[in-house]
Amino acid sequence: MTLPSEHRLPRLFLILLLAVLALAGWQWRNGAPLSANLMELVPGTAPDALELIAEQRMQEPLNREVLLLVGHTERQQAITLAQTLGEQWQASGLFDKVQWTLQADLPALRTQLLEGRLAMLSAADRQQLIDQPQAFIQQRVQALFDPFSGFSLVPSQDDWLGLTGRIQNSQPQRGAIQLDVGSGALIAEADGKHWVLLRARTHGNAFDMDLPLQVADLLQRSRAQAGQTQGQLLAASGLLYAASGQQQASREITWVGGGATIGILLLLLLAFRRLRAWLAFVPVLVGILFGAVACVALFGRMHVMTLVLGSSLIGVAVDYPLHYLSKSWSLKPWRSWSALRLTLPGLSLSLATTCIGYLALAWTPFPALTQIAIFSAAGLIGAYLTAVCLLPALLKGVDLHPAQWPLRLCEHLLRAREALLARVRTPVLLGLLLIFCAGGLWQLTTKNDIRQWIGTPEQLTDEAQAIARITGFQPTSQFFLIRADNQSHLLERQTVLNERLEQLIALKKLEGYLSLNQLLSPPAEQQKVREALARLPAFWQPLLDLGVPVNALQTELAQLQALPVTDIDTALTGPLAEPYRTLWLGPTTDGVAAVVSLQGLNDAALLRVQTLDLPGVQLVDRLGDLNRVFAATQVSAAELKLASCVLILLLLTWPFGVGGALRVVALPLLAALCSLASLGWLGQPLTLFGLFGLLLVTAIGVDYAILMREQIGGAAVSLLGTLLAAVTTWLSFGLLAVSSTPAVSNFGLAVSLGLAFSFMLAPWAGHQAHATAVTEPAQ
Amino acid sequence: MKRLFIWLLLGGLSPLAQAFDLQQLSEQLARPDVIHGQFIQEKHLRALPQPLTSKGRFVLAKNHGLLWLLQTPLQQDYRITPQGIARRDGGTWQTLPNKSAGAEQNRLFLAVLQGDSSGLQRDFDLNLSGQPQQWKLTLTPRSVLLKQIFKQINIDGGELVQRIELLETQGDRTVLRMQDSTHTKALSEAEQHDFAE
Repeated sequence: MTLPSEHRLPRLFLILLLAVLALAGWQWRNGAPLSANLMELVPGTAPDALELIAEQRMQEPLNREVLLLVGHTERQQAITLAQTLGEQWQASGLFDKVQWTLQADLPALRTQLLEGRLAMLSAADRQQLIDQPQAFIQQRVQALFDPFSGFSLVPSQDDWLGLTGRIQNSQPQRGAIQLDVGSGALIAEADGKHWVLLRARTHGNAFDMDLPLQVADLLQRSRAQAGQTQGQLLAASGLLYAASGQQQASREITWVGGGATIGILLLLLLAFRRLRAWLAFVPVLVGILFGAVACVALFGRMHVMTLVLGSSLIGVAVDYPLHYLSKSWSLKPWRSWSALRLTLPGLSLSLATTCIGYLALAWTPFPALTQIAIFSAAGLIGAYLTAVCLLPALLKGVDLHPAQWPLRLCEHLLRAREALLARVRTPVLLGLLLIFCAGGLWQLTTKNDIRQWIGTPEQLTDEAQAIARITGFQPTSQFFLIRADNQSHLLERQTVLNERLEQLIALKKLEGYLSLNQLLSPPAEQQKVREALARLPAFWQPLLDLGVPVNALQTELAQLQALPVTDIDTALTGPLAEPYRTLWLGPTTDGVAAVVSLQGLNDAALLRVQTLDLPGVQLVDRLGDLNRVFAATQVSAAELKLASCVLILLLLTWPFGVGGALRVVALPLLAALCSLASLGWLGQPLTLFGLFGLLLVTAIGVDYAILMREQIGGAAVSLLGTLLAAVTTWLSFGLLAVSSTPAVSNFGLAVSLGLAFSFMLAPWAGHQAHATAVTEPAQ
Repeated sequence: MKRLFIWLLLGGLSPLAQAFDLQQLSEQLARPDVIHGQFIQEKHLRALPQPLTSKGRFVLAKNHGLLWLLQTPLQQDYRITPQGIARRDGGTWQTLPNKSAGAEQNRLFLAVLQGDSSGLQRDFDLNLSGQPQQWKLTLTPRSVLLKQIFKQINIDGGELVQRIELLETQGDRTVLRMQDSTHTKALSEAEQHDFAE
């Protein structure tokens, strides 16, 4: 009963398998080619290279820095603890730089202040110097006597006019953090505790696979250590989110993959009562291998989220062997190759329709879905090839005597269906179903937010919020990108923007911002300061009255006049420029560009309005853009869904004719509609991911309809085959629904609901008359 | 770092355990509820032949804070309280923005006011000599950061603090003389009003 080709097939396939294994080995030669970077999964909304550079620049600290607050009720204890932890962290080798004290280089600061006297003067101080030179001198006299004017870095005799003091005092406030002069620590006070700020910068970034877990681990140990002395640690870092994401992903891969595997193996054993039935799992393993290899080959590496979602492939891939294994209920005796020959057309059709469904995902602008689509399609092809070429050879000589209870259950189900149809006719049922759908759809809401992609533990967000509250640092992901022909224009454009931002701050719509022109003024303004200083001798009599020698003032004035116009690159070299350095993007192809970063934003739309009439100024709001892309993609996803249905319809017209094909495609579509309605009834929102899930439902649901329509081995056996396929698929997608990542869970829920309806509706697929009758009575 | 003057003025108040004893000194200085007095501040700048001299009055109240009323060569009132530093502009007190280093000085000052010695002893090496009626306290900064600003601080006094001398690392020097200090039981109504506002 074995054809010659069936002798060669397993060997040919084994050669292919070896080749793929070798490729996989090569791909994994430098460790797992895995990635946990969420940003790799979202569509590139910024086609502009400069925007991308700016974005990377702004995100880099988030992905490389750990911000730690070391808290204790006793100030000294907090400082000691911060010092201990700082030394331990430095010794850990994970960090480039661990900093908990302000290492002020006072001579460098003095030099920068003295050289920046023209360029770094704030707008208000410039205004006073130009418009009210008398008041300017008066304030200086006052400051010389003022015991509380604060600490001036530059001695009076080097700066009689007090310009450096003004520059020092006009530097933007850095939150609620204060310097402890004794220890040099940066300390904030809140909630009855003293919090020492410790910043650590890692060697790599959050998307190295091991680093985030090592950092999270170190933090865990430090927490325990702090706890021993009643200390408390608060930490914020992109690394911690990455670590939590990785841990969660591996947990979920274990749960979904492990759960589905155990469930399926158990099902195989219960149904077929032979340990060799477990060989049906071989196609699954090969499928995963093929999927991973294809993914790495195409994308360079594989994202952990692909693995989580891809682990649901197990349930789909096992359907192929189940297709012909389930024929053991009708084929007596069951022989692997003949069972395969019988089901091969159905199997191939099923592969084609499922692949169409998955590959439809590849056309969305989401790298995440493209990866999943490629992984799944390659995986399915691998599983199909194994099921067709290798598995029959492995199962050769096995005589299956499956348990009879599943078949009886299916017969029972079919009788129940007949009984129902006798009472209520199909059109009435359809009507009721449509009412159910209408009701559900009425209640359905949609929700699209990038945050659904991250199942962030509450503790992490709570701590980040606490840190923002205690320190006053509230970094936002939005920022302004400013372009201009030259530095002078750039600074002037920033000046206009800053005036508007100041208004927003006054209205409490914004906490603060950081902009290069807070560090230095445009060249034209520097020139005005120079001119105003030249007029000052007419007003400096009060200083002479104090005894300041007139030649000292004249010498200083001559020095000031000789100071060159400061450009941005020069201004950024001094220690005061440290926070500003990331803002400067430097020369671009058509001029120069810089970033204005924002703090404590609560209305992005309001910010966007500010830029409407400002040329060269652009708000970059990646999250907002992404959320908009999500919403827009829903429409294209619906179109894709229809397109995939048309393709499947065309494909099915060949074996089933137009009417049959329409029927077979209409059922999963109806199932998808029911799934959508159920989400509505359950109060679950429809997310983009849910919609993609429904795309899959169409593809997989078509399988069930095909199986039922083919009716090889009779209605009950076909229903049993469908039931087995459905249960295995539910096992994997249903487990996805318990994922703590909202997007994944919504996806799993949408698919498992859709599959449940697909199964229930499958018996309505009709019956295909076969040229060669292979139906044998059940039992 | 001129604000350090003021908390150093009160620096003697902090209980400091050493022989003659810092503990005794701080108890002695902590006794009066309210101190009124005159001050003369001399700033000796390296580049000026004669010091910048200013004069005025001060009121130190144990449970409220300090009023520093500059009278010549210009008039300006300051107030230090747990809420921060304020300057009188026209008729109203304007709270000055808490600059990082300034706010820290303010904190130290208040720590001293409240008899919390940990702040001073952490940042300075203290050396006390003399008798209760005539003593001298020397503060040498310990931390690298403070050493870049001060060389040394000397405080002289008897029953109360009489003279504070601040030697800056860059060569400038400030001398603060407290004269005719008297202690009373309570604040005047106007002073109470100033602290209350």
